[in-house]
Amino acid sequence: MIDVRSARRLAVSVRSGLRGARERPMVFGLSVATMAAGLLVLGSYLLIAANLRGVLERVGADLRLVAFTESGAASDAAGVEALAARLRALAGVRELAWIAPDEAMARLRRDLGDDAEVLDGMARNPLPGSFELVVAPERREPAELRALAAQVRALPGIGEVRFGESWVEGYARVVRVVEWLGVGLGAFLVLVLGAIVAATVRLSLHARADEIQIQRLVGANGLFVRLPFYLEGALQGGLAALAALGLLRALYALGLPLLGDALGWLVGAQPLVFFGPGEALALFALGVGLGVGGALMSLVSLEDRA
Amino acid sequence: MIQMYHVDLRYTGGTYGLRDISLTLERGEFVFLTGSSGAGKTSLLRLLFGAEAPTAGQILVSGRNITRLRSAQVPALRRQIGVIFQDFKLLPERTVFDNVAIALEIAGTAKREIRTRVWSLLKRLGLGHRIDHRPRTLSGGEQQRVAIARALVNDPPLLLADEPTGNLDPGLALDIMDIIADAHARGTTVIVATHDPTLLERYRHRRIVLDGGRLVADRAPETYGVGVVARGAAASRA
Repeated sequence: MIDVRSARRLAVSVRSGLRGARERPMVFGLSVATMAAGLLVLGSYLLIAANLRGVLERVGADLRLVAFTESGAASDAAGVEALAARLRALAGVRELAWIAPDEAMARLRRDLGDDAEVLDGMARNPLPGSFELVVAPERREPAELRALAAQVRALPGIGEVRFGESWVEGYARVVRVVEWLGVGLGAFLVLVLGAIVAATVRLSLHARADEIQIQRLVGANGLFVRLPFYLEGALQGGLAALAALGLLRALYALGLPLLGDALGWLVGAQPLVFFGPGEALALFALGVGLGVGGALMSLVSLEDRA
Repeated sequence: MIQMYHVDLRYTGGTYGLRDISLTLERGEFVFLTGSSGAGKTSLLRLLFGAEAPTAGQILVSGRNITRLRSAQVPALRRQIGVIFQDFKLLPERTVFDNVAIALEIAGTAKREIRTRVWSLLKRLGLGHRIDHRPRTLSGGEQQRVAIARALVNDPPLLLADEPTGNLDPGLALDIMDIIADAHARGTTVIVATHDPTLLERYRHRRIVLDGGRLVADRAPETYGVGVVARGAAASRA
């Protein structure tokens, strides 16, 4: 429980922190602008990564593992249902669809288009029936898929199994690169932005050295002396994050039509999305956290006694 | 009020700021701390307000041993002590009012009380018309009066002054000393570090003489005519 005197001291300390921005507007403004630029870069990357992740998830959802039946293994409805039940029982199979030989032939005709007449001379349908398995998202890693394919292949009545192994490997690699780039860029920017705030707070500390000395002389405790700097850092970080989010929103609104045209081949019909409230709040919290962290870094060496 | 027992202040490198200082100050006493530059006057004051810790010995202020104070305990000690410096140590960008009010703000005093106390003290010190001025627009004497106001506004039981008149003309110096003497008359224990012989002559109080970090004499006002009191006599006061 905070007593009245401590609450009054806290209020004085808060006013002192806000005064820092008023008394050194150039240093404060420059720091906010630099941090905003850094957060804008980070935010842009996160936005691109979020959209790319959406695309990859959509592409991943289209992933199918196709199990071709051996001739005679699923010749009637009971045989199909028996095999389907065994496939559904396998871990990682979310849903499945039976593609009968006639349907397979119809698809082939559709795909061949004008060239479909080459099929007309066939006495009977040579295509086997197949099961198209939709794989659960957590089982879409190449190793998991290979294991599932082996399990499917081992079932009696199943012949060949295909899932586009090389494509899946590429897909997994893209996901990993996006994630690692995000971690690397994020860590780099966090360090750079922390150092920027630390430098600004150090300037502030230097500018207010006399005031700190006098505060201590008349009995200010460590928290009273340090709190204004933490607040100044938090204010810088918070304002920088808001500026970065505002700029990012404006760039998004202005550049969306151009981006949509440029990335249409990649994202297809899927619309590009902006941060939701949770993600925007997280970026704001990151800005505030960086501000306070920078202040902490520069106040480490501040002596409490002198 | 203050007891020091065999206090040493030794700096890194082995030199001594103070060596084997033992003395006692009674509550309400007025003491001059004198000696040439580098004698240890400022070091002794710094020990008393917790800016430094002694390397040996014990110091008691108001019965509390401040020798081994942790950093977090120093602020509470300082709120009981007013300190005045030769260079005033005022904030140039703040008004006279703000410069004085800072001591009460840090003590957590209510705003209304801060206004009343700062205003009445500045008026008493002849600065009522300067309350909204910045220190740089004031004369040296006025600036020192602001610094004194800041040191006294909390009604501290102990006032430490380090060469408070060192930057002032002789006339202004006496004005400042009169204000400090007035605080003493109101019950504050006062220690003034000075090497100004005019002040020592005019204000006949106990004098503690330091030389090379050692206490070399402790003279009561009644002994001025008969010479220096020996170290042993100083210790016997304890």
